[in-house]
Amino acid sequence: MRNAFSQALVAAAKRDERVVLLTGDHGYALFDEFRQACPRQYINAGVAEQNMVGVAAGLAKGGLRPLVYGLSAFVPIRVLEQIKLDVCYEQLPVVLLGDGAGVVYSSLGTSHQSTEDVAALRALPHVAILSPADAHEMIACMNLALGATGPVYLRMGKSDLDAVHAAPPAVDWGRLVCVRSGSGPLAWIATGSMVKTALTVAERWPGSEVFSAPCIKPLDEAAIGNICRSHEAVIALEEHSIYGGLGSAVAEIAAAQLPTWVCRIGVQDRFSQYCGSYQYLMQEHGLNVDAVAKQVAAFLARLPQAASFAPSAAANKRAA
Amino acid sequence: MPHFDPRELRKTVLRMAYAGSTVHIACAFSLIEIMAVLYRSQLRLGDGPRAVDRDYLVLSKGHGVMAQYACLRELGCLTDDELARYFGDGTRLKGLSDAHVPGLEVSSGSLGHGLSVGVGLALAARRKGTDQRVFAIVGDGEINEGSIWEALLFAVHFELSNLVLIVDENGFQAMGSTEEVMNLGDVAAKLVAFGLETRRVDGHDEAALDRTISALVRHPCRRPRAVVARTVKGKGVSFMEADNRWHYTRLTAETYAAAMAELEPPAAKEAA
Repeated sequence: MRNAFSQALVAAAKRDERVVLLTGDHGYALFDEFRQACPRQYINAGVAEQNMVGVAAGLAKGGLRPLVYGLSAFVPIRVLEQIKLDVCYEQLPVVLLGDGAGVVYSSLGTSHQSTEDVAALRALPHVAILSPADAHEMIACMNLALGATGPVYLRMGKSDLDAVHAAPPAVDWGRLVCVRSGSGPLAWIATGSMVKTALTVAERWPGSEVFSAPCIKPLDEAAIGNICRSHEAVIALEEHSIYGGLGSAVAEIAAAQLPTWVCRIGVQDRFSQYCGSYQYLMQEHGLNVDAVAKQVAAFLARLPQAASFAPSAAANKRAA
Repeated sequence: MPHFDPRELRKTVLRMAYAGSTVHIACAFSLIEIMAVLYRSQLRLGDGPRAVDRDYLVLSKGHGVMAQYACLRELGCLTDDELARYFGDGTRLKGLSDAHVPGLEVSSGSLGHGLSVGVGLALAARRKGTDQRVFAIVGDGEINEGSIWEALLFAVHFELSNLVLIVDENGFQAMGSTEEVMNLGDVAAKLVAFGLETRRVDGHDEAALDRTISALVRHPCRRPRAVVARTVKGKGVSFMEADNRWHYTRLTAETYAAAMAELEPPAAKEAA
């Protein structure tokens, strides 16, 4: 996915000299190709993120098309006020790329992990939030972001997972991408790294319909309303806090349109406790396949119509 | 032809502040001559406040915005009627700089933002190959913000010689003198140390300001430029000068009348 990002950026910068990349001294090796292909469009703003975002706003006001690269723990979190006041308020076409979202930097600790970035930005007017699941979605998201007329946050999580799609899907503002159709009682809506997990876990409930949400804001409320109408429960999955992210957004729509059971799978209200590999930390947060399956089963067991969600014994056997 | 007469500008500020019962009068008064000189003889605004090739006046110190409103009135961008309804329900002029108002380049009030945006504007002009300049006004309280110093590092590193930083050094911030709140010592020396081509000037001496800025923008070097303008907070009305209560005090009928009377030209005062 990082390669897809880099290639899309290099192609855009070659096509349009107004495209400039700002980085807060991050992106070692990632930008080698960009620096070689478009050295004049590369700006290392130093270890100074607040100024970097303000400068990006000024560049956009001056007619350029800046892309601000940072770790998602810093862009947007450290510079939230600059994004609000300098970028969003004026609806400037600034792309903010938050790399390593979620717990990707598992062994570096809390400073480098971000499970609150989507929640922080969702409350800011005008900024769109994209969260691709694989390289194909990344290319589509980059094309959307670079053609946008206002601010966009592009959340790049774990980048070396297997592809979800065989070819670039049709990604557009607000739109969900169906990755498995089905007419069973459960619908699954996942974003980023959790799409793959959703596909795997959903096999245990036959007939599950699974969607990827490469765009978290805006969301197609009518489409989600329809999903609520045609399924008995919706499972939302993200490598992000259960507060304020995709799950919250889905639950808000469900509550307003057609009260539906919404199970939010994500990081509970806690920081990572231990050091370890990415897989270890996903497990610590209950976001690995087995833990997610258990949480979903427990959620469904509490519902009045629990019997209609009987998982497939065969699928369970397969998974075991 | 607008004159940007400091007395008239201060009277406009007082009318607004009285009409809206607003604070920050003293913050605007220290800026008046700086604004007057910039609008009268430094800024090239072309077709107006949204002209694409204009010079930019970035008021990073958004608390002084009434001084800029007063100048925009002289330019014909704001009407007396609009100023008289300052702070009224449903009006567009806010108590702090807001970029949605043509003529105001940045939204400020949260401090330490505008200079970075100005640096970005200067960099954009450089990349587009235009000769646009950016004049960015910061307060000496505002420069407590770390982002100001980030912006200066960046401007010097990228040799943004089309940036002119103006420090309104009035010696006060919200809760007291800069010396007692957060003593920055010799501000000009710090700017020199950061690599800016720096001058000190009396911020209420229009001729000196004009001369200094004119020479500075022509100075043959690749450094960004800085003017440390020594000013008096509340300048122009005797009972407001260097009395920091006027950061937050609102006008009464009595103080409004007394302040307006002080701003009459000497001849008018004698005749009265």
